[in-house]
Amino acid sequence: MATTLTIPKLEMSMSEGTLAEWMVESGTVVAEGDVIYTLETDKTARDIEAPASGTLIQKVADGETYPVGTEIGEIV
Amino acid sequence: MTQGNLGIEPEVLKAIYGQMARIRAVDKAVQAGLSAGKFQFTYWPMTGQECIPATISQLITARDYMVTTYRGIHDQVAKGVDLYGMFAEALGRQDGLNKGKGGSPHISDPSSGSMVTTAIVGAGAPIANGLAISAKERGEDRVTIVNFGDGATSIGSVHEAMNLAGAWKLPVIFLCQNNQWGEYTQIPTYTASPNFYGRAEALGFRGVQLDGNDPAAFHAGMKDVIDYVRAGKGPVFVEALTYRLGPHAGVGDNYNAAKDVLAAAKDRAPVEKTRALLIDAGICSEDELTAVEAAAKAEVDDAIARALESPVTPVSETLIDVFADVGSVPKRGSYPLREAEGEFSGPTETMTMVQAVLSAQTLAMDANKEVFILGEDVGDPQGGVFGTNKGLQTKHGDRRVRPTPIAESAILGAAIGSSIAGMSPIAEIMFVDFFGVCLDQLANHAAKQRYMSGSATHAPMVVRVQLGGGMGGFGAQHSQSLEAWLTHIPGIKVVYASNPIDAKGLLLSAINDPDPVVVMESMMLLYTQKDEVPTGDYRVPLGVAKVKREGSDVTLISYGWELLNCMAAAEELAKDGISVEVIDLRSLVPIDYARVLASAKKTGRAVVVHAAVEFCGLGAEICATINEELFGQLKAPAVRLGAEYAPMAYSNAIEMNQVPNAAAIIARVRETMKS
Repeated sequence: MATTLTIPKLEMSMSEGTLAEWMVESGTVVAEGDVIYTLETDKTARDIEAPASGTLIQKVADGETYPVGTEIGEIV
Repeated sequence: MTQGNLGIEPEVLKAIYGQMARIRAVDKAVQAGLSAGKFQFTYWPMTGQECIPATISQLITARDYMVTTYRGIHDQVAKGVDLYGMFAEALGRQDGLNKGKGGSPHISDPSSGSMVTTAIVGAGAPIANGLAISAKERGEDRVTIVNFGDGATSIGSVHEAMNLAGAWKLPVIFLCQNNQWGEYTQIPTYTASPNFYGRAEALGFRGVQLDGNDPAAFHAGMKDVIDYVRAGKGPVFVEALTYRLGPHAGVGDNYNAAKDVLAAAKDRAPVEKTRALLIDAGICSEDELTAVEAAAKAEVDDAIARALESPVTPVSETLIDVFADVGSVPKRGSYPLREAEGEFSGPTETMTMVQAVLSAQTLAMDANKEVFILGEDVGDPQGGVFGTNKGLQTKHGDRRVRPTPIAESAILGAAIGSSIAGMSPIAEIMFVDFFGVCLDQLANHAAKQRYMSGSATHAPMVVRVQLGGGMGGFGAQHSQSLEAWLTHIPGIKVVYASNPIDAKGLLLSAINDPDPVVVMESMMLLYTQKDEVPTGDYRVPLGVAKVKREGSDVTLISYGWELLNCMAAAEELAKDGISVEVIDLRSLVPIDYARVLASAKKTGRAVVVHAAVEFCGLGAEICATINEELFGQLKAPAVRLGAEYAPMAYSNAIEMNQVPNAAAIIARVRETMKS
């Protein structure tokens, strides 16, 4: 089953986040817990781990800011 | 390895680590789910505080009561709350412990003893006292542990609760998880106190400071504390030192903390330290601990997977669990005709309203030993400031009629907690104006407990409250009519009698009602009204208005002491040939729109009269309903008449005019008769 990746709400006040950098290429097999991208908010930068194991499919580019809830990829 | 070397039995330490591993697995899964966008709920991480509940779990059972806060997932896990139900609740799903209506900050799970979880800082402490009262009065050996953070020590309700627990020697443990942060603000900024446990000593009971990150030391200290409280020696305040590694809300690190301070705190964090201790001491092998952690992760993964399968709690649940009976919920277009009390033919006695209230309480206390009264000055010889409890303390003792400190939050919290445990408390708040200092307990807790818990728990308590006004001389802070404050909060029933018969009948119904009921008592009526009141168990059903005078030209709708002015106005108007029907609402929630609308339809005109301020008062609500439902059938629009928009004046001349008097009612009726 595919696991959808969205921009998470890390803070009560967070409405958008910057996908600073994808840490793995699209199409790479990742294990749950691997760092897959770095998310920057106005408060903090955080390494985001894969919530599941499988093949990472990127759907948006890094270096951009997206609203919370935006689908950025999936793990299939 | 023996206990002498470790300071704790190896098996106990291993069990504590097992709970820590479960808490860690939940914390990690929540943070991962939020980070991935899989979950969308607010999380208040407790990372770093795992040792406290994990250790306590080895010293208590599900029979012991727990109250905690929104930063309390670790407390829930260690208390034995079912993880599937907990995750389903956090996700707002219908299979949640509380039907998805409370969410993670409002878990209520009596089966594990997790009774109340509050999102109002410090508000759990007064409620914990009530749970402790029930255990003590029933002769049970349960202890109640109320968890809160160091930030909560700044708020008044914690102080009020501590003072009451000390005075009444309640079996309650105030467990302050001192994680060094009150939300985003740290200790030197918000208090000059060198510690918190010293505040208990100042209030005359025991306080201890323990290292909440050291399972052996904390276990030894808490065992002593729990034994002491269980033995009936009174409350204890425990200051458990720890450090919050996460932010106030959200995921990740505590970004407000200085980097070196946070790094040092991580070195002292209990989960890793305890794990290392188990290996170093030769209690567990690496493989054993890996298996413990894997089992915890599997339990959590399974709970989450199943929780995600549960449907989101549907809209059809909106009005369920507001009250025990959905028919009591006010709803536009739904106006049930509830059965009225029958014609009374039994023995009666002449009683003032004071005597009628006393009669109701006497009967209720005789019938059910779990009915008890608490409030300021309620004991004998005075029997309450208004004498409504005279003789009851002499008859039933000071455990069933409990004079309290002047601390309204503590009074209401004790009533809430004991009613959640199944008792029937009657809390007396001397003036409605004092709701200003305790409305949180009533509006955020008593009113919402049934809903937030999906009816897992509820607070069937009575609050008797006196109102000044109409007499003169009490001034702006003792003369208000604040019923609209209460009717605007879903979950509280409100009744307001205009005469001794109804005062008795409504109070007995309130005491036997499954929901929290505020019984309003006009001070003026308490002293001035006399009736032939039934001496036995007489009930007036809630939500049933009464036609006090029949008429055909206009309907006056009122309640409480203003009803007397309406009756006087009707008498005067009759002299001019205007036939006035007068309706006494008696219950404000549930409200009897069936009888109100029937009367307004019959007369074609309606005036709603109350002593409360007209602007945004109950009259506006009632008029809006009449005008909407009977548009086209009325001879004139329904209108309201309430007090002028001003604080109640001390000047007798102003007070008697700013609130509707008979002349003002007559004038308003004459206006409406012009159309």
